[in-house]
Amino acid sequence: MSQTLRFMIAAVYGLLLFSGKVGYAAEMPAVDLPIPTAIDRLLADSHERMRIVPARRADDRTLLRRTTLDLAGRIPTPQEIVVYEQDSASERQSRLVDRLLAATDYAWHLRNELDAMLLSGGNSPQEWKEYLLQTSRANQPWDETFKDLITPNQEDQSKRGASHFLKSRVNDLDDLTNDTSSLLFGVSINCAKCHDHPLVEDWKQDHYYGLQAFFARTYQTKSQRLAEKPPAELTFKTTAGVEKPSRLMFLTGATVEEPADPRTDDQKKADLEEVRLQREKDDQAPPVEPAFNPRAELVRLALQPENRTFMARSIINRTWARLMGRGLVHPVDQMHSGNPSNHPELIDWLERDFIGHGFDVKRLIRGIVLSDAYARSSQWLYAEPQPSPDDFAVALVRPLTPNQLASSLLVGTSSPDRFQKAFDSGGWDELREQLEKQAAGTAKLFEYPGENFQVSVTEALLFNNAQRIENDYLRISQDRLAGYMQESLRPHDSGEQAGDGEIDAMIKTAFDVVFARHAQEDELQAFRHYFQDRGDRSPAAVQQMLWAMITSPEFRFNY
Amino acid sequence: MLNFNQLKSLKEVGTPEINFAITKLPDRDAVVVGNSAGQLVEFDLSVDKPQPRSFQTAHTSYVTGVVSSQGGLVSGSYDRKLIWWDPLERTVLREIAAHDKWIRQIVSNPDGSLIASVGDDMHCKVWDAVTGELRFVLDDHAAITPQHYPSMLFTVAFSPDGRLLATGDKVGHVAIWDFVEGRKIGAVESPGMYTWDPRARRHSIGGVRSVAFSRDGQTLAVGGIGAIGNVDHLDGPARVELFDWRNSLSIAELTDTAMKGLVEQLWFSPGDTHLVTAGGDNNGFITIYDLATRKVAKQEKAHQHLHGLAVDEASGKFYSAHHGRVVTWNIRDEQPQST
Amino acid sequence: MGLFSSPPAALGASAIRNIEAAKNLRDGVSRRGFLQASAVGAAFAASMHQLDILQSPVFAEELKKQQKHVILIWLAGGASQLETWDPKPGRATGGPFAAIQTSTPGVSISELMPKMAQRMQHTAIIRSLNTKNADHGGAAKILETGRAVDQGIPCPDLGAMIAHELGRADSQVPDYVSMYSSTEGRRQGGSGFLGGRYAPMFLTEQMIPENTSRLETLSDLDHSARGDLRAFLANKFRSGRPDLSVDSHNSAYQRVRGIMSSASLFDIEQESLAMRAKYGPTQFGEQCLVARRLVEAGVPFVKIARAWWDSHGQNFETHLELVTELDHVLATLIDDLADRGLLEHTLIATFGEFGRTPQINSSLGRDHFASAWSASLHGAGILGGSVHGKTDADGQKVIEGEVRASDLFATIFQAIGIDYRKEYHVGARPVPITDFGGQPIRGILA
Repeated sequence: MSQTLRFMIAAVYGLLLFSGKVGYAAEMPAVDLPIPTAIDRLLADSHERMRIVPARRADDRTLLRRTTLDLAGRIPTPQEIVVYEQDSASERQSRLVDRLLAATDYAWHLRNELDAMLLSGGNSPQEWKEYLLQTSRANQPWDETFKDLITPNQEDQSKRGASHFLKSRVNDLDDLTNDTSSLLFGVSINCAKCHDHPLVEDWKQDHYYGLQAFFARTYQTKSQRLAEKPPAELTFKTTAGVEKPSRLMFLTGATVEEPADPRTDDQKKADLEEVRLQREKDDQAPPVEPAFNPRAELVRLALQPENRTFMARSIINRTWARLMGRGLVHPVDQMHSGNPSNHPELIDWLERDFIGHGFDVKRLIRGIVLSDAYARSSQWLYAEPQPSPDDFAVALVRPLTPNQLASSLLVGTSSPDRFQKAFDSGGWDELREQLEKQAAGTAKLFEYPGENFQVSVTEALLFNNAQRIENDYLRISQDRLAGYMQESLRPHDSGEQAGDGEIDAMIKTAFDVVFARHAQEDELQAFRHYFQDRGDRSPAAVQQMLWAMITSPEFRFNY
Repeated sequence: MLNFNQLKSLKEVGTPEINFAITKLPDRDAVVVGNSAGQLVEFDLSVDKPQPRSFQTAHTSYVTGVVSSQGGLVSGSYDRKLIWWDPLERTVLREIAAHDKWIRQIVSNPDGSLIASVGDDMHCKVWDAVTGELRFVLDDHAAITPQHYPSMLFTVAFSPDGRLLATGDKVGHVAIWDFVEGRKIGAVESPGMYTWDPRARRHSIGGVRSVAFSRDGQTLAVGGIGAIGNVDHLDGPARVELFDWRNSLSIAELTDTAMKGLVEQLWFSPGDTHLVTAGGDNNGFITIYDLATRKVAKQEKAHQHLHGLAVDEASGKFYSAHHGRVVTWNIRDEQPQST
Repeated sequence: MGLFSSPPAALGASAIRNIEAAKNLRDGVSRRGFLQASAVGAAFAASMHQLDILQSPVFAEELKKQQKHVILIWLAGGASQLETWDPKPGRATGGPFAAIQTSTPGVSISELMPKMAQRMQHTAIIRSLNTKNADHGGAAKILETGRAVDQGIPCPDLGAMIAHELGRADSQVPDYVSMYSSTEGRRQGGSGFLGGRYAPMFLTEQMIPENTSRLETLSDLDHSARGDLRAFLANKFRSGRPDLSVDSHNSAYQRVRGIMSSASLFDIEQESLAMRAKYGPTQFGEQCLVARRLVEAGVPFVKIARAWWDSHGQNFETHLELVTELDHVLATLIDDLADRGLLEHTLIATFGEFGRTPQINSSLGRDHFASAWSASLHGAGILGGSVHGKTDADGQKVIEGEVRASDLFATIFQAIGIDYRKEYHVGARPVPITDFGGQPIRGILA
């Protein structure tokens, strides 16, 4: 592509992105407002301006399911539905949110989400998952987590797991640079590797190589420790073919001057030999920490008041996108001047609040899920055309993550009695951990949903024909829902047909447990007929009905 | 008096080529090697800086066998030809299109009257060293492996009494012949030389690369490489299996992981006290076993991969052909005088 | 077959409506599917019921003519260009194999490929790939996606892009089948930003895809009926929720029974013994036979990985074994496709992540080499007997017509009629189907 063409594309995209957004500056709400109030006030301003009437609030059961999936990583149990409905209507959501944020589930789910975000999940090392679980439990401030990821303290047992963020990428400097930038700063700058960024004026090759320079010395020893190579001159080639030295440069252009290298040639040789030994032999003493560590400088720069906006806005935007189905800046790794936020004042307000409250992730999550915006229905049943996802006027349908799906399958096909004991007399924590472990294997069979996620036919084939689906979820046994349903009709084993009332009760239970909602009349009818047609094989009919429910999109998505 | 404890390299000559085969010229401290340039090259090792003296160009691919015989020097090559040479003039005496595929090795019998050659056409052919007449064709090796890929017939050896021949192939099958009678008189199997992973790899590596009869004729040593994990490399133990071949009985396995790779060469010392093994992966080795204890008696790292070995008992020397080098080794009690 | 055997009178009106809608959904005439079908005309609308159509020889012939296919033979680990398409006999780097003349005067290839030498009229050789990266993982990523630089978003591989371009919305056969039974270099590849719809059906342990046959405990009738019940729920859920992910969930379930009925395509027992003998008894041969069956049934993209080319030791023995097999199987595949009139619609490509060093190492191996190596194209859209590019006498570097991965991909796209200049859009960002600057190699295209 020629430079001119690139420029034209940049110009056209600029226009598209700015149209309808410029020329208006909302008033920034007060600093001490509760987060939900600020969110709803700013969105309401925007809706009014654009003459959008947002969708009605979702019904309580839907909201219960949605919130539980988002905070606990699974659908609610029948007992949780009862507790929820005992609360007064006005307090239901806030009491639910507080219960869920205090529950053991919260950390498991956040761990899984952070794992997926930072390490693509799946087969990440145990030590890493432990680290994420601990930070999630302790609600460790995000700036501290950020620091752990870039400069992991390998001497500290509880922090060492954080080193896998770098370790998993240490063999590819481009991965280190791109992923740090995109996952922690919200900007994908890899386009700037080979040329100044075609669409974004902010990013020049200097930025790419500047950020890369912070990681250029990092390597892994044979004994699996992260270490730093001695200083060396780094250069890159510009598009014009000119060799330029790379400086340690942050995204804002702020640079760090490295102290002069006082080593003699002999020392330099010895240092290189040390690196070679560390790489080849696993019996070496831990390498000496360098006096000047570029990664520590990156952390220092990135957390300075004038620069920390990148790491703060990135986690805010990613958290928002996770809970709302779309970022305040979309895509989440394109947070630059060429791609402004759909609600700039809102993300500014959230940033100020987040930093002002010590980078508190849990507080942010609580604020979002208590907003009216979060609670809207996902159905658009009005005459007007459906608003853009950027407007947050209707809830977006979100595919369950692999862990959400696998855990929900276990919960949603368990006998309603199964959780009663833990609910009555404690023991949920153990049960939840067990659930997590049970779900982990199945979770690996599913794809983590990215943008434009599409369900593969492989997944549909798995649900259709795999023995494990039959065994794990549809088994007729005491602890499974299928067994419970079958049992509820047992008095009729002798041959007498079960009455419509009894069959309907069974179907209603299934809808309650699987979908966390009441069965509707047409559903009752359809399922009743399906069951009655299979009077000669009622256990099979129960299994097939349950199968139809767990394979429906209502189960597969958070809506 | 041979003393393997004295094993030590005496002189190393670098070459740009890969040297596959080596033979010592009679009565001189000089060798002829066959190399990857399709050449035979003579090196006079008695001088300080031996210079290559190339033979007439005749082969068109790697030269994998060179032996001295009553009919002069004979060489064999991947170009499928056997060539008889005038060793003084370094010119061709006779050329025979001997095999239909690569010639992997040639050997001469103890009195130098016969030449045996093996090739990937899976034939072993025995030739009159003087007339070049084909005397016997010995066939017992399948052309296709059990997994349906081309097999290879890597190695052949005469017995010390000159009456028997042994031939070894890729899948570990070794045949023993009374070639005068033209009949097979025994066979042993050493499947441990052949790595084939039927599930994840479906690609073979290994093979019997060397055979040798003991001096008393009772034992047959078979050399190659043991099981390999990553078949992209020669990353397996150097492996020798000893057989009581008359009873088709495996009597010992000698494996070494300190210096790994293919055992390309085998030699029994006088009195069968020791077994000399040599070869390599990307490095070379000479590993000498004490046959009484079946333990390594002496081991030396050799330059890169060692392909060929010639032994001169009289002067107490090994001559070896390597990837990019020709080396002489001392194997006797006193250091020979450098001349 | 109806959803229920009981009389419709017993059902409420709304339930009947929903069930009918559900049936429509299942039958692949959802609104979206219908619009797409009408837009591209009757021939393609018909193709949604392709398996039925395959029963009719006339229609089947018609379909064959329209549909293009690609079979990628992925030489995992990196095959040696010197022992295949770019021999250097007589040079120190050339190794022991000779070169042989091919059916195209002036073009020689390694003696290890005597059968392919007789099929140069169906072959185009590229001898001048310079893809720079000689590390397995990084190089595989480049040659899988045709993109030399990480784009910061997961990019689709060749198979996914071709499935996206050539696959049909409600196809009853898979769009992209990838057979990778070896463990060397096994990477699933994938559809990246194009989404799971175009992800490969990935076969590793088994030759027959997983979960394509019904559990014995379930009758075919019930298997189908519970699918209708599911569709009834799905249809209710879709109301007021026009979401592409939800649609993809439904279309995946709609495709299940079609895919199940196409599972027999993977069963080579259905071929005559004579045909199986032609391909030979090796697994690679059998996989290529499966590939032909798949292509014949309308699958746009099939990848077969043949691995263990990474010959750091024993390069010549390795290539003697593997090239001999490749020569035989590739020649058989070409002949078979030609006999069936499929070769002019099917492009076969052979390459891996890189080639091998001209330098021969001390294990008689060749190491990783990305700066001057070869690929081959056969069949559809190429100029038979053509050779592009040149390496120097020792094969150390490209001296004429350097080709990057993006050029190779542009050539493949062009050969099967996909516009190589096409752009995808990921959010606001345009991502060209061919990496920036990629140009088709005109000289080897028909």
